Amino acid sequence: MQHLEHERLVFLALGESDADNGESTHLDTCAHCRAELTALRQVAGLGVETQGLGDLPDPPEHIWRGITAEIRAAEAVPSLTEARRQQAAEQATIGQRPGGSPTAPAAPDVAGPGPGGRSRSRRRAGWSRWAATAVTAVAAAAIGVVGTVSVLRPDEPAPAPTPAVLASAPLAAFGSTPKSAQGDARVLQSGQLHLHVANLPRVPGYYEVWLINPTNMEMFSIGTLGVDSDALLPLPPNVDLKSYSVVDVSAEKYDNNTRHSGDSLLRGTLTG
Amino acid sequence: MTALPQQPDPPVDDLAPRFRSGDEVALREAYDRYGRAVLHLATSMLANRADAEDVTQATFVAAWLGRDTFDPAKGSLIGWLLGIGRRKVIDRMRATARETRVVETVRQLPEPAQSTPDPDRVVDRLVIADELARLPDDQRRMLELAFYDDLTHQQIATVTGVPLGTVKSHIRRGMASLKRRWEVDGAAPGARAAGFSGAR
Repeated sequence: MQHLEHERLVFLALGESDADNGESTHLDTCAHCRAELTALRQVAGLGVETQGLGDLPDPPEHIWRGITAEIRAAEAVPSLTEARRQQAAEQATIGQRPGGSPTAPAAPDVAGPGPGGRSRSRRRAGWSRWAATAVTAVAAAAIGVVGTVSVLRPDEPAPAPTPAVLASAPLAAFGSTPKSAQGDARVLQSGQLHLHVANLPRVPGYYEVWLINPTNMEMFSIGTLGVDSDALLPLPPNVDLKSYSVVDVSAEKYDNNTRHSGDSLLRGTLTG
Repeated sequence: MTALPQQPDPPVDDLAPRFRSGDEVALREAYDRYGRAVLHLATSMLANRADAEDVTQATFVAAWLGRDTFDPAKGSLIGWLLGIGRRKVIDRMRATARETRVVETVRQLPEPAQSTPDPDRVVDRLVIADELARLPDDQRRMLELAFYDDLTHQQIATVTGVPLGTVKSHIRRGMASLKRRWEVDGAAPGARAAGFSGAR
């Protein structure tokens, strides 16, 4: 079958003329030419609509400042996974384990010395691949020093209980909460969030603690607060604190609704 | 632009790989080049200017933090950015719709549904505009006369003094480039279906 010439299809798509009888008959029976014509018509229609798009106004500079500020904040807060890997790598440089069997340094896909070694992270989205690369570099350096590859094994002993702080956030009263309410949050290297609060208003229900991703307001709950002014809440070992960088304390009701009530009492942004 | 000689191939552009590898200068360049398009997408879809600026900001932040999910083999940087922007615009529209419903329930004042453009269409338009700007000058000029001034090939030949056969050839080649680019980077089903689930 003789297809229509491409130039002719473009001609038809731009509406310069109608298809003559023979062309119509061919288009009725030839899916290939019909699809090509349809696509070219779409492109021509879009082309007509591009008028003015070549001359769009520049976005205001404060958007750029917002972008850099948000990226700086995100990159300042390490993820727990990354921190633990770092820790594991550092430990390996200090106390070498001659019994360790050599493993390839380019496989740092292990969450490090979590309890029972089960805290493996398969999450490898976004910047965390960069983190993995950085850790690989650390691990490689370690190999260079000690000459053995015992790093990043899941059965590594538990880390020394030093309450090193990876990131912290002052918490301030949010919305209509009395300004005297305040607190602070600290992410400990042990993988816990230490929360200290003061002057929280009385609520009929209870207080719940959330980590929020400020770019899309996605969130998850990390626990509730009791009567004490201090709480130690475990964090998921693979939590991405660069994304979930906002600590939020909310007032919740016993209403069989697990979602955030929208009633935030305290908020603060983690920085490392 | 018109003084430039006709270029059969666009100049080598290493912005995408530099962006992907984490070069911060490339982030600024990407913003300078494509910030307008992302903001236009957002302002076309969102009534609130502040929302549109937020979405633009969030798009570049998400793109930068998720830059290693960008695969230059699967499409252009602007197509990828617009894909992220499109998802963020839709998220924001849904959130606004939820809030509006709550408010309306309280006020008992249903507003007439506003007609907003189709986000896919806006993305497609921006992709075509980007490709149009990359075409060799002659092809772009003739397509603009056909698109914007609704001139026939013959009229374009008369206006430009270029022989009709050459006009036809420029337009045919230009249209083929636009179509190819649209198929790779457009928001149409199939074009974006694979491999664009990365950054949000």
